[in-house]
Amino acid sequence: MRARDEFFIGFFPIPPGLRPFLAAIAAALILLFAVAGWFAASTQAAPDEAGFRFDFGRQEVTGVLSLHPYPVIRVTEGSERLAAGRTVMLSGGGKFAPPQVAALDRRLVKAGGVILRRGDLDMLQIGGGERNLSAAEGDAPALSPPERLGRWRLEGEICDGKCAAGAMRPGRGLSHKACANLCITGGVPAVFVSAAPIEGATFLLMAGPEGGPLPPEALAFTAAYVSVEGEIERIGDLLVFRIDPATLRAL
Amino acid sequence: MSVSYIPVQWNGFKHRYNLALALAVGLYLWIFVELGPALLGHASPITPPIHNARAFGSCAFLMMSVILMIGPLARLDGRFLPLLYNRRHFGVMTALVALSHFLFVFNWYFVFTPLPSWEALLFSNTAYDRALGFPFEAFGMFALLALLILAATSHDFWLSFLTPRIWKSLHYLIYPAYAAVVAHVTLGAAQGVRGLAFPALVWALALLVAGLHLAAWRKERGAAAAMGEWVPVCRPEEIEEGRARVVRLAGGERAAVFRHEGRFSAISNACAHQNGPLGEGRVVDGCVTCPWHGFQYRVDDGCSPAPFTEKVPTYRLRLRAGLIEIDARANPPGTPVQPLEAPR
Repeated sequence: MRARDEFFIGFFPIPPGLRPFLAAIAAALILLFAVAGWFAASTQAAPDEAGFRFDFGRQEVTGVLSLHPYPVIRVTEGSERLAAGRTVMLSGGGKFAPPQVAALDRRLVKAGGVILRRGDLDMLQIGGGERNLSAAEGDAPALSPPERLGRWRLEGEICDGKCAAGAMRPGRGLSHKACANLCITGGVPAVFVSAAPIEGATFLLMAGPEGGPLPPEALAFTAAYVSVEGEIERIGDLLVFRIDPATLRAL
Repeated sequence: MSVSYIPVQWNGFKHRYNLALALAVGLYLWIFVELGPALLGHASPITPPIHNARAFGSCAFLMMSVILMIGPLARLDGRFLPLLYNRRHFGVMTALVALSHFLFVFNWYFVFTPLPSWEALLFSNTAYDRALGFPFEAFGMFALLALLILAATSHDFWLSFLTPRIWKSLHYLIYPAYAAVVAHVTLGAAQGVRGLAFPALVWALALLVAGLHLAAWRKERGAAAAMGEWVPVCRPEEIEEGRARVVRLAGGERAAVFRHEGRFSAISNACAHQNGPLGEGRVVDGCVTCPWHGFQYRVDDGCSPAPFTEKVPTYRLRLRAGLIEIDARANPPGTPVQPLEAPR
């Protein structure tokens, strides 16, 4: 029947005249997906070298805990990878602040956990239980006061210190915004990734204008390229950027 | 065609269609996830759940784009009609790939949080007042919901249960869903890649989809609807044996005038199944056969052959001054009409 020779009906065999065309379409479809897969893969930016450093082993340090603006430890007795004199940001598991820290503010503590590292950004992730965080014997020693470095206007990105340190690769950018907000509201230290180094540092711990956590209105600007003004101070070897949220601008 | 609901009416063509699709999708994902990073020499790999989410998400977008090209391509060139025949399997597979993308994202970014995961998904970013940082996840959720609804209702049971008119209207959701995916990708993933190549690819595909629809619309628009009770169609010799001439009638209806064994009959151009263009079909074994899914109707009464029960309206024809004319007043579906004898 001539009509059936030329006309496709799904429940009949494919008409002979259509077979080469359909074979070519199937091959073209497979080729299209292969080429598109390669093309899309090649547009993926390689993340910076960063992440959990399980290869360093467990790090145990002693130091003074501070919860403002976010949990940090000013190390007085260091470990192999975290020397005395360092000021290291702390996080708990997942998108949480370290557990059981409220009663230990400004006290000498022992802390143990795993390092996350990206460039000059270090964070110590500590788990629950006294093994990982507990009060140490003795009083907290007197530490050097913050050094004020004046008012600055910086350009860069607000993100959470944990993902920025390599808990996720990439841990920055607009597609990561919701995650960054969750981390910051969960108590993970917020950091400013400066477009240009400030006093040698690319990552600055962020604070609100009064030295507390980042104000909620700043969350609208996370993960985007922004400019913001504020006061910078040095605490140990860590720069803290106390932003004026009224000056936040998306660029 | 079936008189009962069967989960899937498999045939050889559907198996080959799905095999080609599975090969294409599998190849895309393997190249994106495995081959790409190895050949590109990424020293510090993208975290696997994020990488997988990107692979499945971008693949779903490509699949949606191809699906939306099939309809207009089939209108522009009838050789593409076989791609339309099994398009619903393509759609279901796309919904599954998109769901995989969602699960990778949801179970990575929105877990281990102080908020319940669904609350975190919906409220962790509420910057709806700005383009940079807009909660693009909302577009993705809308598109995924639409794809899942379309996949769940793709079976002919739902076509019959909802009626073809409502089913067809529901399945137009694919267009807002596609627009939402373009916005989702543009405001999200496209912001985190190197250079402009990826967003350029996304928009090139979207513009190609739009362009093909425009071209098909321009082709179909055709002549203006003819007015009056009796409408001229064409000279008898202009219709090939087993084929039809489609005519637009007042009120937007279309009728297809078929030539079968030298005689002429007219039925509605809209298939009772999914409104497929019967006039682009053929007469096979005495039945007009829809080019989309093979539904059949007798030429002289618009009824599907037993045991099937579908019916379409018929039209009366007459010959005046060497021209076939059609009565614009449609007969009720399934009304027998004496075929018009061809002039000798």
